[in-house]
Amino acid sequence: MACFERASPALKDILLKLYRAEKPMEIDHQLYEFGSVQYHIQSSASDPHHTYLSISTPLLSQGALLPDKLSHATIEMIKGVGSNAVDIVEPAKEGYHLTLRLNFSKIPRDKDSVKVITQISAMQAVIISYQLKEMLQNVNSQVTLHGMHKPIKLVYHPREPFFVIRQPQKIIAVFPMRFKENSDVIIATAFFQELMDVGSSQEWAKAPPCIWSPIPPPELRGETFEDLSTNGGFVSFDIYSRHVEGKRLDKTVWSLLNFYAYVKSHVKCTRGFIQRRMRKRLESLVKVLQKASSEEEEEEEQFGKDQDAGCNYMRKLVSLSKSKILKRRSYGVLSRKIKRIRFRIKIHGFGRFRRRWLRFPKFSSSMGYTKLD
Amino acid sequence: MCLQNFPCQEVERHNKPEVELKTSPELLLNPVLICRNEAEKCLIETSINSLRISLKVKQADELENILTKKFLRFLSMRAEAFQVLRRKPVQGYDISFLITNYHYEDMQKHKLIDFIVQFMEDIEKEISELKMSVNTRGRLVATEFLKQFI
Repeated sequence: MACFERASPALKDILLKLYRAEKPMEIDHQLYEFGSVQYHIQSSASDPHHTYLSISTPLLSQGALLPDKLSHATIEMIKGVGSNAVDIVEPAKEGYHLTLRLNFSKIPRDKDSVKVITQISAMQAVIISYQLKEMLQNVNSQVTLHGMHKPIKLVYHPREPFFVIRQPQKIIAVFPMRFKENSDVIIATAFFQELMDVGSSQEWAKAPPCIWSPIPPPELRGETFEDLSTNGGFVSFDIYSRHVEGKRLDKTVWSLLNFYAYVKSHVKCTRGFIQRRMRKRLESLVKVLQKASSEEEEEEEQFGKDQDAGCNYMRKLVSLSKSKILKRRSYGVLSRKIKRIRFRIKIHGFGRFRRRWLRFPKFSSSMGYTKLD
Repeated sequence: MCLQNFPCQEVERHNKPEVELKTSPELLLNPVLICRNEAEKCLIETSINSLRISLKVKQADELENILTKKFLRFLSMRAEAFQVLRRKPVQGYDISFLITNYHYEDMQKHKLIDFIVQFMEDIEKEISELKMSVNTRGRLVATEFLKQFI
């Protein structure tokens, strides 16, 4: 169970490889699926026409009654699958419920070959589905309780039993839901509410009505406390005759058998989705902060550049004034010497006259101080 | 938001955010509590060298409750990416920021405030979108399941 596709992908792959092989192959594969289904495929080069497939699957049990072998009706139904290419080997190999002898030479070499191999790979699903169909058909012989049929407890996985209750015009399938974590319970509850809303709409009137309740339905009154203690409530499907007519019976049975797996898969995918969304949002939030920091850095760099320019200018200004002072000093001494040499004729008072009236005007410096912004 | 460097008065050569320690009452300002309603509030605690902002986000139902808890815990565990985010929120609140004078020096004040305001808006928006997405996914999955019966 816990497989939405009926055909086992690994088994189908191996069988197709054997079917398409040009030379006989030696194969001895053991496959385990979902912890409870086991396949053993054996093919020998000394017997190239036959391949042996053994299947072990947990069978649907009715409460305490554990079946150890397949019923006669199930075996007859298996014989109908795969036509001439499949023969049942009796007794089955030790440790397995069913052993099949496959003859690939009898499978037609056309487009239908893949279909036949797919049917063989889906044998386990066929066994389980037929068991549920048989139980539903044999419900009339069960003990009635207060005029109603007693609920049948079907156990496929030890921790995931479900109940089937037959009523005059419908069959009710009740699934007690249990989850390990509280967040799973809440996500699943949201899903069950959507299931109820969708099922009750006009568009989906043909689908079986679905009801979710946190408390056990009245039909399960009298069942054990262990079976009725849940944290995810109870999901009930009302199956009418229109849902089990013809080919729909197979689909309905398969959907009911896979309901637990469907819900758990949805919860797991939703958790993964939430995690991905959170990571994406984290990246966008961090970008905002990084942007703010990078803008600050850019402004600091610009300020730094401006500051350097100002400092350089100041440095130039300071160096200019120092040189000017030095020049003044040296110039003054030198100029006085030159004047003494040039002006040999000394006129009393002329020096004072010259200093006062014969000075060259001083022009203002073009290099002004620039105020920093 | 006026923060300055202030070394610890009790331990030499230590510099601690005073709003976290609360050992010296003279260094703390009066906390400010802003409530939109009982479910949404913001607590601002200030001290001389640090500031703590704690937020309580609206949670209307159980789904919003778990989404908020998951998301804010996710962000808190990655607090180093945000620098100003506290790893553990203050008791009674969903998320807390701790801004110290060092952050104040490294980042611009108005940008920091804009970040916190935008963070608050984004959180609410993200949680609403997450809730809507979860419900939409549930509806699609329910539709696909019921199709098998038709």
